[in-house]
Amino acid sequence: MSNSNSLGDYPHVTKKESSTTTPHKYVFKDFKLIFIIALVSLVLIAPSMTPFTMVQAQQPKQVTLTAIVAEPKERWDSLFADALTKLRERHPDMKIDIDYRVLPYADTRKQILTAMAGRTPVDLISVDQIWLGEFAEGKFLSDLSNLTQSWNRSSEWFKTNWDGGIYNGKVYGIWAWTDVRAMWYWKDLLNQSGVSPDSLRTWNGYIEAAKKIENATKDKGVQAMHLVGASHSPDMWYPYLWMLGGEIVKQKSGHPQKGTYWFPAYNSTQGVKALEFLRDQVKAGIKPQINHFWGKEFADKKFALMLEGSWLLGHFPRNESKNFDKSVGMIPMFPVPKEGDTSATMMGGWMLSIPETSTNKALSWELLTIMLQPDVLAPMLANYAYLPTQKPIAEGTYSTQLNSTIPYYKELISMLAIGHSRPSIAEYPQLADNIRQAIDEVYLGTKEPKQALDDAAKKSAEVLGWS
Amino acid sequence: MILKLEARAGILQPYLLLVPALSILVGFLLFPLMWNIYISMHNVSLTTILGEWKYVGFKNFSNLLHDPDFHKSLQVSLLFVGGSVALQFFVGMVLAVVLNQHIWGSNAFLALIIIPWTVSAVITGFSFKFIFSDSFGVLNYVLEQMGLNPVAWLSDPEVVVWTLVIANMWHGTPFTVIFITAGLFSISPVVYEAARIDGATKIKSFFYITLPLLRPFIIINLILITMWSVNFFDLILVMTNGGPLFASTTSSLYMYRQAFEFGLLSKGAAVGFLLIGLNLVLAYSYIRLFGRQEKTVEIRQR
Repeated sequence: MSNSNSLGDYPHVTKKESSTTTPHKYVFKDFKLIFIIALVSLVLIAPSMTPFTMVQAQQPKQVTLTAIVAEPKERWDSLFADALTKLRERHPDMKIDIDYRVLPYADTRKQILTAMAGRTPVDLISVDQIWLGEFAEGKFLSDLSNLTQSWNRSSEWFKTNWDGGIYNGKVYGIWAWTDVRAMWYWKDLLNQSGVSPDSLRTWNGYIEAAKKIENATKDKGVQAMHLVGASHSPDMWYPYLWMLGGEIVKQKSGHPQKGTYWFPAYNSTQGVKALEFLRDQVKAGIKPQINHFWGKEFADKKFALMLEGSWLLGHFPRNESKNFDKSVGMIPMFPVPKEGDTSATMMGGWMLSIPETSTNKALSWELLTIMLQPDVLAPMLANYAYLPTQKPIAEGTYSTQLNSTIPYYKELISMLAIGHSRPSIAEYPQLADNIRQAIDEVYLGTKEPKQALDDAAKKSAEVLGWS
Repeated sequence: MILKLEARAGILQPYLLLVPALSILVGFLLFPLMWNIYISMHNVSLTTILGEWKYVGFKNFSNLLHDPDFHKSLQVSLLFVGGSVALQFFVGMVLAVVLNQHIWGSNAFLALIIIPWTVSAVITGFSFKFIFSDSFGVLNYVLEQMGLNPVAWLSDPEVVVWTLVIANMWHGTPFTVIFITAGLFSISPVVYEAARIDGATKIKSFFYITLPLLRPFIIINLILITMWSVNFFDLILVMTNGGPLFASTTSSLYMYRQAFEFGLLSKGAAVGFLLIGLNLVLAYSYIRLFGRQEKTVEIRQR
């Protein structure tokens, strides 16, 4: 028993070994070993250190700008490549690179917000107009007011687009390009249904046409008209609200904390009438689509008519653009209540902003301004069928180029005059969710439009702090 | 002196060995939990995160308890978790028992059946979204070809939660199959042999041998699949984003949307804390329920 191994079941370790080798000796031995390894490493590394630092001193300064932008990637590839070439030319003393992450739309806002909240340095971001208030309120964006003053190009922007980048009197973003929603239809399907495109211009005509097209195309696997029933369905309701003179929110005094602040205004008579039109579409057999493929479903001829953004053109092969108007028609409007009424549409697109966490603000601003130069931006707009926010592109020589490459370009540009934008306030995502709920309730027939909008507005008022 | 140091080292050794595990536990479990509670008692949103955090006590919890949308999400969770757990457990148990009969190809099938569980919930969500799509889905196409009316799988508030339960069943059942199979392997064939000699039928063997001996596995399996179903939201996010009309907004999805879509971090944290409580209550209920049955069996045997 006396010879038993105190280390349990490890027969290779004898008691003699364990008793003569104390922990102190192990520690001392380890220390000596670490010291020797460190010394050898130093001897090996040291000769390479001096030349390295000398070479480094001779090399141009390396700067890597970082950016978070929204899909599709290709548009950013071309835009960043062209702008970077010009930026490098201006700074031969520097080695400038851009590390940009392209994210799906839904992830972009979350990723930017978490990056900003975590103080991650990012030099440039793409901002949807509805996010601007939220980002500016959170102090995530750099104030570009002074820079834009010395830049002196603000007057070249369409007023609505320039104002879209302003929050509480300060410039936080420059609206780079926009898009408008319009009415697109397959000419052959309308012909087969005996529907005249002109009849689509009024609410009654639109609903009657839906019934006719449905009857004529139902056996072909084609649905008559597309109605958005997804999370962004409010975007397709706003044009009807605006064309009737309604607003989403309006300023009101008496706010418990803020004095004068935004108050929900979408449950007005105009809002109710606009929602009744959506309800009538459902009653006429138009099915709200919970999956929205942003025009792909129209390009695949699953629908005879679709109210969709100008990006829909990107789903058609580029080489077909010359003959595009022979097969697809476009009416630059949303249907109006009666003949002669003025239509409205919603403008989207992207702004460019510099986060507060940017470590290269001056260089980022320079890059941003290069990206917005007409000679850099216009080719990208022509490639992806986006609409300009600045007059030199919309009205100058570039417009000829865009007109020859983007089908229905003139008609799309004409819609900018009836374009509206959503409020860029911090609480907008919650308000949109309240409106979406009201629309869903009307689609499903659980509430009448007035009741649904009043209930939603009550929630929105609470969100805005009116309680 | 050295002996004293050795003795002290001997006393400290077990505690020192615990340090890495405890550090991980504190760093990755206890600290986030405490931080979550701290945030839930302040007014933090993504727009105020860099500013001052105002202490609001239990206001976020109180607001939640008065929020009809949260009540609705609890009802949806109840249906989703109840349906998912019942189906996953029943189908998983049946498959495990069948595969344990050593029929030809059962091992290969067992290896294949794990695939749905290894596929990410997001991919599962996208796949089922296209299968169940109201307008372009494969399922409605098949129904129409058979002369039946298409079903609004994802847009009918009465149907949507059951559509999600089916998708979750496909995704989660393999875990039950593998887990119960492991339990079945642990039962000695000698027990069945003895029962067979005593004249027990296969059905009697299942109810009087298999089920009682599987009880610890069943408890753990039920606890795990329940907790996962309570916390599960990515598949739902992809398939329906909680719609239509909150009909598929479970409490976990409600939490996600509050925190990350609307930036209301404190409200999201409060929901998260309530979900932890819900998970604990459910786990405790399972243990009490099955533990009590075990005691009853023991008393009867005496």
